[in-house]
Amino acid sequence: MSRGGRWIVGLGVATALLCLPALFSLDYYLHIFVMAGIHAMLAISLGVIIGFTGQVSLCHAAFYGVGAYASALVSLNFGLSFWFSMWVGGLTAGVLSYALGRLVLRLTGHFLAITTAFFGVLVTVVLNNWVPLTKGPMGIPGIPLPRLPAFLGPLAAFESRVAYYYLVLVFVLGVAFLVYRIVGSRLGRALIAIRENEELAQSVGIDTMRYKVFAFTLGGGLAGIAGAFYAHYILFISPVTFTIGESINILVMVIFGGMTTLAGPIVGAAILTILPEFLRMAGALRLVIYGLALMAFIVWMPQGIVGAVRALTVRERPDTPG
Amino acid sequence: MITVFFQQALNGIILGSLYMLVALGLFLIFGILEVTNFAHGEFYMLGAFATLFVMTGLGVPFLPAVVLAMLLMAAFGVLVERVVFRPIVGKPLINGMLLSFGLSTFLTNLALLLFTPDPRKIESAFAQVHLRFLGLHVTLERLLALVVGAALAGFLAYFIQHTKTGKAMRAVAQDRIAAQMAGIPVFRIYAVTFAIGSMLASAAGSMVGAIFLVSPDMGWTVVLKAFIVVILGGMGNIGGIVFASLFIGLVESLGGGFVSYAYKDAYPFLLLVLAFLLRPEGLMGGRKA
Repeated sequence: MSRGGRWIVGLGVATALLCLPALFSLDYYLHIFVMAGIHAMLAISLGVIIGFTGQVSLCHAAFYGVGAYASALVSLNFGLSFWFSMWVGGLTAGVLSYALGRLVLRLTGHFLAITTAFFGVLVTVVLNNWVPLTKGPMGIPGIPLPRLPAFLGPLAAFESRVAYYYLVLVFVLGVAFLVYRIVGSRLGRALIAIRENEELAQSVGIDTMRYKVFAFTLGGGLAGIAGAFYAHYILFISPVTFTIGESINILVMVIFGGMTTLAGPIVGAAILTILPEFLRMAGALRLVIYGLALMAFIVWMPQGIVGAVRALTVRERPDTPG
Repeated sequence: MITVFFQQALNGIILGSLYMLVALGLFLIFGILEVTNFAHGEFYMLGAFATLFVMTGLGVPFLPAVVLAMLLMAAFGVLVERVVFRPIVGKPLINGMLLSFGLSTFLTNLALLLFTPDPRKIESAFAQVHLRFLGLHVTLERLLALVVGAALAGFLAYFIQHTKTGKAMRAVAQDRIAAQMAGIPVFRIYAVTFAIGSMLASAAGSMVGAIFLVSPDMGWTVVLKAFIVVILGGMGNIGGIVFASLFIGLVESLGGGFVSYAYKDAYPFLLLVLAFLLRPEGLMGGRKA
């Protein structure tokens, strides 16, 4: 695709995203769009760990949950507004993922995946049992909505889903831009080098452990911010949202879209948030179909949607790197 | 107090021998096919249901039903390997992982649909036989789980070490391409591996179904613990797996009894962290795959 073509596609996507609430104004649709945005943040952040750095993590929902709980608890107990508690959520999840990363990132492949999976279970167990802080399986109700100063008029309370949609959209674009800048930088090239061949990367002087921990921390922290967005949108959180099943869900979004691209996780999150809504009419069969579809997808289209589309267009631009 | 301790320890060993059966299958599949089979817990669940239905449907007694279910599950394992895992041989590890997640979701929810979510019990007729020695108390059923576990592990160790197929399996685990060049039918070895893994899981599920309950969602927690066993065992040999699974069973049982029951699912992870800090190469040493 030429440079001009990219601009046109970009503008088209931007216009579509801005106009979405006008076209689909039902609360039901808006809810799906907001969730797609939150999922996109999660998928982009996991994409940094898994797609660009090549480290398989199965505990992304744990950071998502820790961010949600930290933000909710801080805003409820200390009356902090969302604009501060959000960063507290991100910071808490970031610190936790830094600590975990330091501990487990010496492992690779399957070992890393299983260890992180068990860390996810550990977080769920703690959320369920640390009742004085987390209220256990009962969850935390009554989380406040984000608020802007009152003089900004009706949009200030974020009570309408349209306002929240735009708020999430801004953050998704912000996160995507951040990751875009990182991937294009020296830092990003180091991460990709680790993905492609860790020993080789080490041999040319890349401190692989440090970069892996960086990717893990960044991914975990961004997931924590996404958690804060979830908590202050749904206004109720409980441990069932942040189980290993959700970790796998996020992982599937990343792979489904195409993990080695930036657009992939976003596309994957959008499609895999919207598509299951159609499956709702299948009732009890829904997850049976989901499992089958996942298997079929892995067998026939393992490089993801964006990867497949690229494979179709690759002949037009044989020498431009993606 | 000391009796309670030994009672908990005994329960832990029985629990550990059940984890062992699941972990051995996972270990074989992992070592030979290089797939982390997250659907292995569903083989365990289906094995338990197979035993249940063979008993209620055909009126077969418990032990023959367990054997019959193992054979059925062996066939199922071969089918799964052929249809699901064969197409992704040699692909990146994440593909196998997601494929097995898909399979796990599919099988669990199909079972929920067909068998209903109500937990059921396998009536083995051994639960009423109580044995006592040295102040410890154990039902024959639990003791049987221990015996079956030990017998199957011993049989597997013999099979892997001394039979021709077992040697071929070890060769494929070491180097698939070299094994293929030496004339070993690699795909047939894959099928045998899946058959053995499914049989062991099926036996474990049937025992658990008799001692505790059978339900469509019983597989998921077991498979994670079995993976921890595989990691702690150091990926080296069957001995490491046996040792690590008994250890996990003991820690869970004693920790649940004396420290905190609510956090018992967290102990294996804490063990794992400790193991990383102390022995990064696994508890029993051994090579790292």
